[in-house]
Amino acid sequence: MPQYQTWEEFSRAAEKLYLADPMKARVVLKYRHSDGNLCVKVTDDLCLVYKTEQAQDVKKIEKFHSQLMRLMVAKESRNVTMETE
Amino acid sequence: MVLLESEQFLTELTRLFQKCRTSGSVYITLKKYDGRTKPIPKKGTVEGFEPADNKCLLRATDGKKKISTVVSSKEVNKFQMAYSNLLRANMDGLKKRDKKNKTKKTKAAAAAAAAAPAAAATPATPATPAAPAATAATAAQ
Repeated sequence: MPQYQTWEEFSRAAEKLYLADPMKARVVLKYRHSDGNLCVKVTDDLCLVYKTEQAQDVKKIEKFHSQLMRLMVAKESRNVTMETE
Repeated sequence: MVLLESEQFLTELTRLFQKCRTSGSVYITLKKYDGRTKPIPKKGTVEGFEPADNKCLLRATDGKKKISTVVSSKEVNKFQMAYSNLLRANMDGLKKRDKKNKTKKTKAAAAAAAAAPAAAATPATPATPAAPAATAATAAQ
């Protein structure tokens, strides 16, 4: 279960994983306020994990979540490369 | 598992976050959904249903209470805005690293004023006149 240290790598790998099999892949977000950390997991039975305690990552993760949501809801199945600035 | 309308889901999700502020986690799952309502039978013919391509399933739980909603392309715009705001508003208990970044930036700007021409090319240039004053103030403190 590879855990990523940089957001860049994680989001690219996660996007790839989702595009490989959109129906199987899922995103799990776990937030613990008491511990002050956030964990994102993208899996299709193979897991990619990213953990953070940084407030600046919340925005990136939330954007990522929205982008994936849009991908899932888009009718046309084409290879969309998400721009993670 | 409670299936809710998007708006109600957002309300319940807010409540979940508030409930778990002192202890516990909030789990949110996002998955593409094709609209099937019956499980795929192991044997025999698959029910003739048309897989819809434009929906996704959102689930949330705090370990005890479970809620879920289906978002389709028609609702996604409105839902996404509200959802993003919700996440940002509630996930505010994380550490802020801004202080370190800011001091690094101001120090870098001060160093840039003294030496490297490369730094002058960065968009931080307009801030440079203000930066030395800021660093002087912070150094004085």
